[in-house]
Amino acid sequence: MTAPAARRAEMLPTSKRRNTFALPSIGFVAPAVLLAGVVLYLPFLYTTYISFTKYNGLGDPQWVGLDNYVRMFSDPGLLNSLLNTLYWVAGTIVLPVGLGLFIAVLSHNLPGATLFRLPFLIPYALSGVAVGVIWSFVLQTDGALSQIVELFGADAPRWLLDAPLNTFVMIVASSWQGAGVNALLFGIGLQSIPKEPIEAAKVDGASGFTMFRTMTWPMLTPLTTVVVGLSIVGSLKTFDIVWGMTKGGPGGVSETLALTMYKETFITNDYGLGAAVAVFLTVVTVLASVLYLRRQLAPERSV
Amino acid sequence: MTTISTTRPPARRRAFSVSVLLRQLLLGLMGLVWLVPVYLLLANASKRPEVFGEYSIWQFGDLGGMVSNMADAWGRGRLSLGTLSTALYAITGPALAVIIGAGAGFSIVALRLRNGFFWFVLIFASTIFPLQMILMPLFIGYAQTGLYNSRVGMILVYTVIAVPFSAFVMRNFFSGIAHQVFEAAVMDGASAWRIFWRIYLPMSAPALVAIFILQATFIWNDLLLGLTLSQSETVRPVIAALSALQSTYGGSAMSTVLAGGLLVSLPTVVLFLATQRAFTRGLSLGQF
Amino acid sequence: MKQHKTKAALMATVASAALLLGACGGGGNSGDGDGGGNGGGDVEPTELGFFTDKAAWEPQFDEMNAASEAADQSTLSFTGYSDAAAYDAFIKQAFRTNDKPDLFTWHTGGQLGELVEAGLVAETTDLWEAAAENGDVPEGLIENYTYDGKQYCVPLNVVYWVMYYNKQVYADNGLEVPTTWDELMGNAQTLVDNGVVPFHQMNFIFEFVWFQTVVAGSDPEAYVGLQDGSVSYTDPAIVEAMEVWHQMQTDGYFIDPGVTTDPQTLLQTGEVAMANFGTFFTGQLNALGMVPDEDYGIFAIPNVNPDLDSQQAIVETGPLCVGAGSANEQAALDYSAWWMGVDAQNAWTDAFGDVSFNPNVESPDPALSAVVSQVTGPDFQIQKRWLEATPVPIYTVASEEFGAFVTNNGDPMAHLEAIQAAADAYWAEQ
Repeated sequence: MTAPAARRAEMLPTSKRRNTFALPSIGFVAPAVLLAGVVLYLPFLYTTYISFTKYNGLGDPQWVGLDNYVRMFSDPGLLNSLLNTLYWVAGTIVLPVGLGLFIAVLSHNLPGATLFRLPFLIPYALSGVAVGVIWSFVLQTDGALSQIVELFGADAPRWLLDAPLNTFVMIVASSWQGAGVNALLFGIGLQSIPKEPIEAAKVDGASGFTMFRTMTWPMLTPLTTVVVGLSIVGSLKTFDIVWGMTKGGPGGVSETLALTMYKETFITNDYGLGAAVAVFLTVVTVLASVLYLRRQLAPERSV
Repeated sequence: MTTISTTRPPARRRAFSVSVLLRQLLLGLMGLVWLVPVYLLLANASKRPEVFGEYSIWQFGDLGGMVSNMADAWGRGRLSLGTLSTALYAITGPALAVIIGAGAGFSIVALRLRNGFFWFVLIFASTIFPLQMILMPLFIGYAQTGLYNSRVGMILVYTVIAVPFSAFVMRNFFSGIAHQVFEAAVMDGASAWRIFWRIYLPMSAPALVAIFILQATFIWNDLLLGLTLSQSETVRPVIAALSALQSTYGGSAMSTVLAGGLLVSLPTVVLFLATQRAFTRGLSLGQF
Repeated sequence: MKQHKTKAALMATVASAALLLGACGGGGNSGDGDGGGNGGGDVEPTELGFFTDKAAWEPQFDEMNAASEAADQSTLSFTGYSDAAAYDAFIKQAFRTNDKPDLFTWHTGGQLGELVEAGLVAETTDLWEAAAENGDVPEGLIENYTYDGKQYCVPLNVVYWVMYYNKQVYADNGLEVPTTWDELMGNAQTLVDNGVVPFHQMNFIFEFVWFQTVVAGSDPEAYVGLQDGSVSYTDPAIVEAMEVWHQMQTDGYFIDPGVTTDPQTLLQTGEVAMANFGTFFTGQLNALGMVPDEDYGIFAIPNVNPDLDSQQAIVETGPLCVGAGSANEQAALDYSAWWMGVDAQNAWTDAFGDVSFNPNVESPDPALSAVVSQVTGPDFQIQKRWLEATPVPIYTVASEEFGAFVTNNGDPMAHLEAIQAAADAYWAEQ
């Protein structure tokens, strides 16, 4: 009904209200907190403990203090993983998020929108097994993409063999799968935008990009926050697609932090080092998302 | 669980303006590009394994080949056994998670939970933990509590996995609802419980449906949790069976793997198709 | 009003608690309580919990169940994993729970050594003695299963690493099966001249295959020396072998590393003329409808160094292990004993169309049968596969280096030095 600024003013809490619903508010949040605490936090605490130990999966872990962290930070390979992970974060925010927004805005209130959105949603519904195989068809030497490039008389690059190109094409592949979901979420955001201010702006002569920038985009904030927040978290943890397509190779050049963590833990059986990478990855992710969310959710923070 | 508003918005018959046509054209073209890999999937899943190599990747096999490959994958991968339990997980898990997550969002936004941001980050942060690393402790915990290899255990873990996403979306969705709605309901003497079920949830149908299908799809396609926390054929999800087709030692032919992947993806594709309508049935919050 | 709110809070909390509690009560999974133990002697056949990372083998294990049931043996309840790494972690962790696996497949070499050291696998020395008396195990195989003079686990399978070739391509190019390395290279050159890619190669999973072939075929003692650290990856023998591989890559003898099409498809279409693979490859070729000795043939890869006393052949074997302290330990040991015998191994070769480790059992596949009797014959010396023979921390680094080498064909020395650095670090700790 009103612009965000006005809404924020409405939401200033009064002490009375806070007291009235204190008990129910705890009741409603309790299931989520309890479930996450038992099923997700406890195991992660255990992983944190393992990161301070030497452990190969057998027998008892031996306490080694910060050894694993020292080893992790003195490994030059970590820098490469970190760099690739940053590529993923940047690429994911630009490509799937940008494309998702683009698709959502284009299809909003469009006759036949359902049909037009469908091609973007199908990839997400396909099982990972099939998606991995298909993209290897597309990206392998003389694969579909190379054939298309050669159709135009150009030489096709070695998509998955050379860094950082292999990371970039894998980001494209993951955008193919993720853009539709983001479009879906943005679409919900667009639908929940009140009509009146938009109509009013139209009367004032706003249209096209100006309208989008001044009216639609600010009111889309709640869902933008969701999409970007999830993209940050998801891209920092990128694993499946890289593991499926290059196994982090060749020679570790496309490895992400999550792959380093996985390889140390499950391939080298150095559970302690793998756990240390996991803790590092988690700290980075928490920092990034809290920084982002604090800014985005600031109005409600005082509540 | 989710009540989808059945009232259609007033049909806005727009003249076919240039802008609409341009948008359709652009989306249509992008959509075609998007469908290229899907076409490759269909084309290559339809080639009979014996002649797979004779075709170029762009060529379509034949429908009979597709059917026989699917049948092969279905039998060899014993996909039938996992389908039922997977359906159970993919429906129950997200359904519970949607409600639990919405409850958390409702508490933080509408009921103004004290230190709401802290609790919100606490819930949200649990999606941050790398799944691969909590698998082993989870397995130990499950084995010790008897949850290992039980359907209840699978439903539990799939519910919890979906809660943070659900809480995040619902919290932000609710924040788009003017607080007067809540206050008006309180004035009318409604309890928090009633406001949640009768006002906030029905108003959020598109968001609830979106969370539900996204999480259901994730669960349907999950491999890691399924492999780690279950063993018997009646408890294990279908993807665990499907992935067995793709194996270094004695795996199936490429086209069989693709046909199996396609077959297993059908329910989620249908789910997307079926729920698409929920998003187009205009449900605007503008009126509130 | 207030009541309502309290109720809401309560119900929500109770709901989550109930979910947790209900979950705890629900379907547990414990063994059938059969004590098992090491008591020895036969126990009633039962259903054994069987775990493997070879998930694709389930149909064949159904056939094995039919055979074991007919022989009044236990049957296996099959649980397959498709992700080998997750499988390894699962098995290790399972020993910390009450769900210890009765029977499971594993890897020889250091990985089995770890389990033995931790006391997690049941000893099988008696079974090996009995099998040796019956002539059910070939000479040398036992070394893969021996730790401190005792045996653990039994062989699940054996794989011989040999060369598969497309007969049509060979005929079209007027080639003969090579008996020397020079002939093999001559064939490769002819193929390259005629525009055909001679060999298959991958830059992951099997990136080490040509390394082991060339090193073992050039200097078997150096190959063995790598396994205990007495030979360095930068020693001249290894460098020389690496140069041979390097030259082959330079000469265009291998398929482009970016091609990820299944090797069986590549061999079928003749996109590669030959593939250096384990004998399990037969099953994958047959699945495409190729006929052994008609569409494809198999030969043992000749030594690089023609002056060696014996022909070198690489062999891989995977163990079938009994979990120490598992619910059905004794029944699982009985099953293992049966497994090594002729009946079970006949059932195995029938089910898989594969070879058996048991010399008394012949593979139904004539091409396999021929090559196996050749490499197990007196002229051949068997070497362990490099993957199992190499300590895991060295393997992890080396597989990355080989992967990069296959992809970019760079300076061999840089890769060898990187591998040796990992080897130095590993052996220093031992």
